[in-house]
Amino acid sequence: MKRELLSKAFGNIDERYIVEAYRTVTGDASSSPERIVHMNNKRIITFALAAALLLALGITAYAVWSIHTVRQQELKTDLKIEENNVNSYTEYDIPDDQEGGLVLLSSVNDGDIQRVYVNISPVAEEAAAAFPKETSFSWSIDGTEIGGFAAPELPADLSVSGDEIREAVLRYAYDKETQTMTLECYIDLNFMEQAKASLGTDSLPLLVHMTVGQNETSTFGPVSLVRTEEQSRYFDFGHAVYHDAELEKDIEIAGLELTPFSAAWKVSYEGAESFHKPDADWNAYQPWSMLEDKVCIDSKIIFSDGSEFSTGGALTCPYENGTVNLHCGWGSAINIGDVQKIVLGDLVLWEAK
Amino acid sequence: MEDSKIISLFFERSEQAIEELDSKYGPAVRKTAANILKDRLDVEECVNDTYLNTWNSIPPHVPDPLAAYVCRIARNLAVNRYHANHAEKRNGNYDLVLDEMEECIPSGVNVETEYEAQELSAAINRFLSTLDKKDRFLFVRRYWYADSVSDLAEASGGSANRIYVRLFRLREKLRNTLVKEGFLA
Repeated sequence: MKRELLSKAFGNIDERYIVEAYRTVTGDASSSPERIVHMNNKRIITFALAAALLLALGITAYAVWSIHTVRQQELKTDLKIEENNVNSYTEYDIPDDQEGGLVLLSSVNDGDIQRVYVNISPVAEEAAAAFPKETSFSWSIDGTEIGGFAAPELPADLSVSGDEIREAVLRYAYDKETQTMTLECYIDLNFMEQAKASLGTDSLPLLVHMTVGQNETSTFGPVSLVRTEEQSRYFDFGHAVYHDAELEKDIEIAGLELTPFSAAWKVSYEGAESFHKPDADWNAYQPWSMLEDKVCIDSKIIFSDGSEFSTGGALTCPYENGTVNLHCGWGSAINIGDVQKIVLGDLVLWEAK
Repeated sequence: MEDSKIISLFFERSEQAIEELDSKYGPAVRKTAANILKDRLDVEECVNDTYLNTWNSIPPHVPDPLAAYVCRIARNLAVNRYHANHAEKRNGNYDLVLDEMEECIPSGVNVETEYEAQELSAAINRFLSTLDKKDRFLFVRRYWYADSVSDLAEASGGSANRIYVRLFRLREKLRNTLVKEGFLA
């Protein structure tokens, strides 16, 4: 592989991500990523919006109402809400007299992120088809500088690339008749808490923005958003110890905090605290890092029908209160009330009585 | 000075535009170049070339945001210069970044043409859209801005060790995504 072309491939990261990550370059080294979000492109292009609204005038109110309810049901099925008895889910009432703008459909709380599903309209088919090259979506909390990115909602098990993205967006996330786009907004729960503190209310004014090309930004909303209740279950493993013969190391797995959409494995091992301090010895930590991965990836959560589930590798691993917390996440829900057994290799970590 | 006023100066062909651009975005442009190029003279030439390219491209362009526009020019120029110099001068940090980039790519993937590079870019952008903000921040800062791990640790308030682990896992995740998308030669 030519490294020049590899540089180029990584160099063509979307402008919006570059802007998002830009601010700490300017010298504000203490800024946390959470404070990076600024909505610089909020300018509404009146002509574009007016033209889009004119197009929308021919659409019947029923058709618009219908696409909202259809999307709600599709989402509920895709997220496996009913079959897995998910409580950390909110389904919103659909206004029957709203023909355009921003409509809340549903949301789930995955423990760290509230995933909020919305419809926006009108969105011209050309703009929908231009995602992600020319068109991008974002959300913000009105009256604050808190915001983040949104993306067309595609089925959880769909894997697409290249031009397939355009086809998938038009097929699954866009409704041509009503010019409606269904989006997923990823809202960090910490952001919601910050916004609540800043505005002094639990009910947050959510805005959604669509940017086409360099400058054309349309804003939809606001609608009122509240935090969806979290649903979790803790599995206490006592002082279960897993011995890895290959690495010749022992790791204590204290427990598992499980939500329908995420997990936090709680582990501890010799020297864990020191490896999560500044200037820790990376080489010394590496085998422990592999062992942490093994806990997340190789452990099996077994349900009453005999099916098995792996939480997958962790993306974050903070050391808190004496344990390393390995945080993992996934798309469709699992039934955390139906867990019968949790094993790692031959070690039974937990079993229903 | 606001971006719009700086851009107006460019449109007026006023040399004050360069002074204001340097005053506002000079540190960011220098850091972007210096993350990739080791030699101080190379960095300064890259910064000057960035300003010249900006001067030549505004008008007709009206970039918004201006910061990302000039940083992208600086990065492209620095990467080109890096590859041109590579035989003689190695930059430990950017070599490491390139090594890590290569590690993300599943074995069997060839990126030998511009078209294949574009396809890979699209896949990386899709991958980024699935990440939460903290992880996306780390990925972009490391693999676009080529920030060092210690800079990232300082910026995010965590330990360098934690940053290594998170980047390692992000690369794993990207590699798995590329495999799932059938990104194999």
